[in-house]
Amino acid sequence: MPDRRGRPQSLRRRLLRTVGIAAMLALAASGALSYRQAQHEAEELMDGHLAQSARLLLALASDRQDHLADLARPLATLAAAEASGYEAPLEFQIGRGDGSLLLRSQDAPNASLLATPGYTVIEHDGHPWRLLTVASSAADYRVQVGQSIRLRDRAALELASQAVLPMALISPMLLLLIYLAVRRALKPLDDLAGDVAARSPANLEALPGHRAPLEAQPLISALNRLLIKLRETLDRERRFTADAAHELRTPLAAVRVQAQVAQLTVDTDDRRRALAQVLAGSDRATRVVEQLLRLARLDPLADVARAADVDLAEIARQVFAERPPDGEGRQIRLRAADRPLQVSGDAELLRIVLGNLLDNGMRHTPPGSTITVFARRDRHQVALGVADDGPGVAPDELPRLAERFYRGRAARSEGSGLGLAISQRIAELHGTCLEFENLPGGGFEARLRWPGWRRSPAG
Amino acid sequence: MRILLVEDDALLGDGIRAGLKLADYAVDWVRDGEAARLALLDHAYQACLLDLGLPRRDGLSLLGDLRRQGHQLPVLILTARDTSADKIAGLDAGADDYLTKPFDLLELQARLRALIRRAGGAATPTLAHAGIVLDPASKRVTRDGQEVALSAREFTLLHDLLRHKSHIRSRSQIEESLYAWGEETGSNTVEVYIHNLRRKLGVNFIRTVRGLGYRLGDAD
Repeated sequence: MPDRRGRPQSLRRRLLRTVGIAAMLALAASGALSYRQAQHEAEELMDGHLAQSARLLLALASDRQDHLADLARPLATLAAAEASGYEAPLEFQIGRGDGSLLLRSQDAPNASLLATPGYTVIEHDGHPWRLLTVASSAADYRVQVGQSIRLRDRAALELASQAVLPMALISPMLLLLIYLAVRRALKPLDDLAGDVAARSPANLEALPGHRAPLEAQPLISALNRLLIKLRETLDRERRFTADAAHELRTPLAAVRVQAQVAQLTVDTDDRRRALAQVLAGSDRATRVVEQLLRLARLDPLADVARAADVDLAEIARQVFAERPPDGEGRQIRLRAADRPLQVSGDAELLRIVLGNLLDNGMRHTPPGSTITVFARRDRHQVALGVADDGPGVAPDELPRLAERFYRGRAARSEGSGLGLAISQRIAELHGTCLEFENLPGGGFEARLRWPGWRRSPAG
Repeated sequence: MRILLVEDDALLGDGIRAGLKLADYAVDWVRDGEAARLALLDHAYQACLLDLGLPRRDGLSLLGDLRRQGHQLPVLILTARDTSADKIAGLDAGADDYLTKPFDLLELQARLRALIRRAGGAATPTLAHAGIVLDPASKRVTRDGQEVALSAREFTLLHDLLRHKSHIRSRSQIEESLYAWGEETGSNTVEVYIHNLRRKLGVNFIRTVRGLGYRLGDAD
């Protein structure tokens, strides 16, 4: 997945970042929430404590109204308590219902006892204080207790911190766990990448898929399909190269031998003959090279580059008109439809196909045979090809005819072995197929066939 | 010296035939495996040059059949297949030698000479009998160290007799080894060559075995 600058993004980094941030946010939110909760609980606890103390003092005051002064000393410890833990020092005032003061701790805030009963916050000694004023049910006594909010907060903070601390400690561990989990989850991908990277063209075996996670399976299958295709292509190329070398080797060997004969012989006629053979051999090698180049140029194409409306009947007439001479008494005939048979294609390439088919027909029929170049329409299909009345081709050889460098068992090797392979390729480019058929009445037919043909408006 | 050449390529076959003719071999050339099989049934050859990729019948299968039938004919495989595996398969199928295309004509001739010499049971490159020494490579014959000028046919006939030193060679056997298909043989040409050889090498060098043929005798 590319980032904004077009660089591929690391899946691992992305996962780590997203999951890490999400985990940290969740931790922080839950920490904040716990902190608030703990603080709130602490406040309520302290307020409850304050109320309890106030009621106790009120009860004491009502009970011991005559000996209140005696209570002053023991009650002073309330205020003197160490400000530690949850025991915040408590200051207090005790008075009558009319507001007159009966007893007060030393540093008690100087607030009126007649304030409305309930909690208030006041300023005392430059610090905020929490005050609670309560009155007895008979309204004859009033008690006011107070605590420094600062000290209360300290206790609340301590309480809240203890709730949050474990989370803070957990977070690095959580991050580490996330990192390890992500790494572990992505390991099959790393292994796969390593496996693919370590491949050489010599090793195109299928990738092992059993260890990879489900999500990576489509990728592995796609890669394996590609590998199979690649292997087939490479095999074909390798075979083709070997065949091509073989095809060139024979005429080259012939040229060499004939040249040596010319060099060694003392007979002038023999020498002239050998030299003529040298020329013939080099012509043949040239023809093989030309056919190879033609095939190489056709191979990478996906379709016909210069497609136009082509009249098959016209192509048949042209190829017939340019037919090579035959010295062995073969009769070559033309059977082309009178009306145009338009298809979309490249006339030059189609002429090459028909020329190849005619060449083959002449090479593989006995002298005196009749060979027919045809372009015909049969209801909804048109065909362009060559038929003969020769011996035909063994049925098991039919599927192999168009293989590169394949020659029938009965064939001589004068051809390049590439003509039908080239024709096949051209047929593919035209979206049609090259067909071979032993005719029922004897003879053999090779044709390009366009099924589902429809007369074009122009034709 | 009669050779069977099995090669389907017209141009190359023609070249090899011409090249071997230069070395005075009689060459029968066939262009497919089936024709080769028939030729081997009908004629005695001193050696066979065999291409592997043949129409109608593959060279290796032909060779395999030949060896299974116990045929001793020296066979040299001449092919464009040049991998070690191909060579091993060829030699193991019964070939005596293996040469890949393209090849040197002189090397082919030398290998043929070696094959034929070995098939006759000799390791030394020259053949000798009663003061006559024949060198197949240089095509020279000496009598007591003196060079004797022989025609190509005379040389081939002498070579044939020397290779079958202790055998009687019939006239038809000698003709088989002298002529390829389509070469006209006069009715008494063998007698003419024998006469010439006797004149050049000594009257008793070649003996006539009445009704059977010829064999080497003692020089006088």
